[in-house]
Amino acid sequence: MNRRFYIITVVFLLIGTALPTFAQDVLIKNGTVLTVTKGTIENGDVLIKKGIITRIGNNIEAPAGFKVIDATGLYVMPGIIDSHTHIALTGTNEGTDAITSEVKMRDVINSEDPGIFTALSGGVTMVHTMHGSANPIAGENVTLKLKWGKTAEDMLVSEAFRTLKFALGENPKRANSFGPTRGTPRYPQTRMGVIAIIRREFLRAKQYKEDWDRYNQAVKKNKRLIPPRKDLRLEPLVEMLEGKMFARVHAYQADETLEFIALAKEMGFKIACFEHVSEAFKITKELVEENIGISIFADGWAYKMEASQGIAYNAGYATKKGVLVSINSDSGERIRRLFNDAAKAMKYGGLNEEEALRLITINPAIQLGVDKIVGSLEVGKHGDIALFREHPMSIYTRCEKTIVEGEVYFDREKGGEK
Amino acid sequence: MKTYRKTIVFLILAFCYVGIQARTSPTYAVVGCRLVIGNGTVIEKGTILIRDGLIQSVGPAADLKIPPDARVIQGEGKIAYPGLIDAHSQFFLERKPAGQGDESETDEAADLWKNAHVNAYDFIKPKKSTREDLHKIGVTTVVVVPGREIFAGQSVIVNLNGDIREEMVLKHSYGLHINFVTNRGEYPSSLMGTMALIRQSFYDARHYGLHAGLYKESPVGLKRPAYNPFCETLLPYMNKEKPVVFNCGNMEDINRAVRLVEELGLRGVLSGANEAWRVADVISRSGLPLFVSLKFNPPSSSRYVRLGEDLKKKAEKDIYPANAAELNKTGIPFALTSNGLVKGSDMLKSLQSAIKAGLPREEVLKAMTVRPAVFLGIDDVTGTLEAGKIANVVLTEGELFEEKSAVRHVFADGVHFEYEAPPKKKAEQSPAAVNITGKWRVQGAAPSGEKAVRIPGQGTQGRTQ
Repeated sequence: MNRRFYIITVVFLLIGTALPTFAQDVLIKNGTVLTVTKGTIENGDVLIKKGIITRIGNNIEAPAGFKVIDATGLYVMPGIIDSHTHIALTGTNEGTDAITSEVKMRDVINSEDPGIFTALSGGVTMVHTMHGSANPIAGENVTLKLKWGKTAEDMLVSEAFRTLKFALGENPKRANSFGPTRGTPRYPQTRMGVIAIIRREFLRAKQYKEDWDRYNQAVKKNKRLIPPRKDLRLEPLVEMLEGKMFARVHAYQADETLEFIALAKEMGFKIACFEHVSEAFKITKELVEENIGISIFADGWAYKMEASQGIAYNAGYATKKGVLVSINSDSGERIRRLFNDAAKAMKYGGLNEEEALRLITINPAIQLGVDKIVGSLEVGKHGDIALFREHPMSIYTRCEKTIVEGEVYFDREKGGEK
Repeated sequence: MKTYRKTIVFLILAFCYVGIQARTSPTYAVVGCRLVIGNGTVIEKGTILIRDGLIQSVGPAADLKIPPDARVIQGEGKIAYPGLIDAHSQFFLERKPAGQGDESETDEAADLWKNAHVNAYDFIKPKKSTREDLHKIGVTTVVVVPGREIFAGQSVIVNLNGDIREEMVLKHSYGLHINFVTNRGEYPSSLMGTMALIRQSFYDARHYGLHAGLYKESPVGLKRPAYNPFCETLLPYMNKEKPVVFNCGNMEDINRAVRLVEELGLRGVLSGANEAWRVADVISRSGLPLFVSLKFNPPSSSRYVRLGEDLKKKAEKDIYPANAAELNKTGIPFALTSNGLVKGSDMLKSLQSAIKAGLPREEVLKAMTVRPAVFLGIDDVTGTLEAGKIANVVLTEGELFEEKSAVRHVFADGVHFEYEAPPKKKAEQSPAAVNITGKWRVQGAAPSGEKAVRIPGQGTQGRTQ
């Protein structure tokens, strides 16, 4: 009896000493906590245990073994989410073909892209990193947590929507005017061609699905049937038709945006979000009706013909009309000042601080299907946090620390290396 | 009848030659050396008998009788090791397989990925200088890998036993080699396209195999499958009969390879992998054989080369050479290969810096003998100095991989190569005696026509009559 007791005690002690002290156990103390969804807490504390927020409030004591980050005088906000970027990838476009739905950005994550660190320095903790806009149907995008120094596998966000990139307008129709295949015109060369080739591909996917369905039925009776050829190009489109994947569509003009909505209805797939849509303010009613978000620039337009009708009020106006708007970077440089870009919607469009903050936190989280785990500071969500020295919507602000799941990945005091 | 005699003499010489050739090689006895068997055993004063290209017996010098026909090599003060195996090399490729030439040949680019059928064997040209370079660091067996395309082709395992390609082959079509590279201007022009293409190719092979299999079972009611050479080549690899070797240029390539192996159900091997230590947990979980390259240059994707010149220098000098040492700490078994290195001597330098970085010498030996032998599936015939195995033996002065030591004798398939001219002794000079006495029937262009030739007497002492 005694001996068993000793053995059990020893075993427990061993387990106890073997347990790692989690790097993700941290208390952020005495900051101005901008929860985004639940208001602002002055002199507030955020307790993060094993990477998850377990308490938010005032005067929280740090449990034993927890690291304490003093946020006195700092603003504590949820990590910024970029709904549309191309960082952390080896290659952006498979531009040799108009339809490349078989490619996956998940395959080419470059966990060592310094762009990850640049993004962290601007308070960004999550990105939706996408295929480029060279092809009408491009490839599967991927959502990552910016865990600088970890591998691709560690960065994947499995909770996020699976999304397929589409591109309309000028980019896909002039994709062959530069680069290695320059001079060999690729179909499509017009806007109508772009929509047509996408429709054609969905029709092929429907046929493919039918072939498989027929085979799966028939093979029960006749074992000697040859199955259809597995076609990785069509399978993502079938998954779209089955509602397992959503479209993220590069589009600028109102007309092509509406055209694509009609195509989605005709074929029966869902659009998560339109990208760039500088003319979104013209079609807010349709976007709200169809429950489609937009991921746009704050004040970039007129850099090409199809973007000529952009306005600075796009984000603010669409938000007020009820459209789910996020501000994106589409760049490894702008990504570090998304908070500045979001703040522009206060001047142009009259959003308040919290509404503007939503453009780079909870709104992109909803667009990516991860609002249950990130996008705001709430108990049960991930401890993805950015610390700013002024209110993040102030022009005088600057990101001081960026934390992903309780771990500090950027600290301005420490500089370059984590 | 001067011509007649001349012809006869010529013919006799010809027979002698044939007689020698019929025996793969003479018998050797390496006597009194330290024997590092390669399985953990070391015999301080041992003898190793080599006959017909195989290790006939091996043991303490006192226990072994030296046969009278054996050529004796004094091994005192020397150490015998199993011949080293380089499990991934680009040596002996006579000309580059298609698509590796001028990169401007874009018209050929379209099919670059399809080179699965290419076999390194067809491109091998034995070269004495290369062989000697490798012998001098103790290598007797290399896997020659063709190409740098996505589907680069199939490798061949050769023993460095001479100049005849056919005789060098230990295992033909060992594995299918895949590189994570891209095409220029043609699909796939991006790494993601490459990944998609690899997947689609194997799925196509599976589909083809299924169709062909059903048709073979019974053709009735089935369309005859169109012959597809590409799928045909891939089939044994798709069916796990043979390994698919992924050349991993950086740590994310290792992740990619592991994922492909799991998705497609392949018999995978990770090669290259000079960032293996950074994803050791992934490798360990996958349980895949690991061929670590001795080329230590950090890949361009590495954060160590992208964050300043100081870090880059440190990476080249300290961080990457420690790959194997770090891996060794995790207990992951690996083989060491020359993959990417051009010269044999570079390999030795790399081995020495790996040792300096903390890899124990006995681990290096394992990583170049038993481990590659097991990974390559040739451990039943080579990898250790055990009786019955192929006589791939190196005899050194000083310990292997030491800076001042030197390889003096090499046996590859029992063929003897010597790398120092020792004082000439008669017994060592002449090849083993060949008995050609007996009645021979020969045909020749002698003016008198066909003649029967008898060679009486003993051994080579006979005279023609």
